[in-house]
Amino acid sequence: MPLINFAAREINYKIVYYGCGLCGKTTNIQYIHKKVNPNARGKLVSIATEEERTLYFDFLPLTLGTVKGMKTRFHLYTVPGQSYYNASRRLVLQGVDGIVMVADSQITRLDENVESYLNLWDNLLDQGDDLTRLSFVIQLNKRDLTDIFSAEDLKELLNHTNSPVTEACALTGQGVFETLKTVCKQVIAKTGQAS
Amino acid sequence: MVRRRGLVINDRQMQLVDDILDKLRQVSGSRFIALVSTSGQPITTSSVEAHPDTLSLASLAASSFAATQQLAEVLHEREFTLLFHEGRESNLHVAQVTDQVLLVITFGRETQVGKVRLYTNRAVEVLRPVFDSNDGDDQTNLMIDDDYSLLADEAIDDLFADME
Repeated sequence: MPLINFAAREINYKIVYYGCGLCGKTTNIQYIHKKVNPNARGKLVSIATEEERTLYFDFLPLTLGTVKGMKTRFHLYTVPGQSYYNASRRLVLQGVDGIVMVADSQITRLDENVESYLNLWDNLLDQGDDLTRLSFVIQLNKRDLTDIFSAEDLKELLNHTNSPVTEACALTGQGVFETLKTVCKQVIAKTGQAS
Repeated sequence: MVRRRGLVINDRQMQLVDDILDKLRQVSGSRFIALVSTSGQPITTSSVEAHPDTLSLASLAASSFAATQQLAEVLHEREFTLLFHEGRESNLHVAQVTDQVLLVITFGRETQVGKVRLYTNRAVEVLRPVFDSNDGDDQTNLMIDDDYSLLADEAIDDLFADME
């Protein structure tokens, strides 16, 4: 549900990066902040602990420019991944238009990935939403590591919505913008369908 | 396709809101007023000087207010309808207008907390009915069409070209 301001001729979309602790959500946002045209981005806001773990959220506004007379923005958020921060995750999900589920490809993180995915469904259902009505992209992160699941296995576990899947290594930036482009295009397309 | 409930502001609403915010700023002696969505996006502002970072302010104020609502739930309180931060030079006051809209006010020592609260409460009463109507939907259908989607798609390709 984007915020559409006809008087100011602005549309703002909210995109949330979701996933278990240390899966690479903040790394995605930091890479985008580092690489994107400085004129197109605002300030990166991070509410993190002293150990640089996300406590509440990271926030990065991106300006797409003026499209058909409407200034179009994407507001990127991350959530804290650890299971005990669920109250914070629910707050960040309010008013979301698109979600990137960042999955940690390592075999040892299987349980955390599944728990986070189920938690996402729970939190969306609690606020009267579900993934089939939202834009949803799954990013398989850390593809550069050894001891990882195959993409097919992860898709079977996490992609019950038949959503787009990207492969990434957020540390080097591989797949980061492909993921962002995919989710941005989806939220635009969904808004068009809804109206 | 089920229509998800979004927030659409039309010209008439914005004119009314801008008038109310300007008046509130003058009578309360506050420095800066912003109307923001509960999802953290700015709608409009009233200020003598433009705030350098309205986007961050909107995001943080909305999140802080949402956290306050959760605190109320934990304490078995029905709702906390305002949030107040006191600083050395400036103060921040956040009040709920509707379930989708918040009012964010900053003010300094040139005015008093009680005065700001009094006039803010009155402004909220006047602002609330402005967001009752849904007549922005027709405008949405006209603007957010296939043409918009196509152009936005091209703009996304341009913005993220050669980024990897």
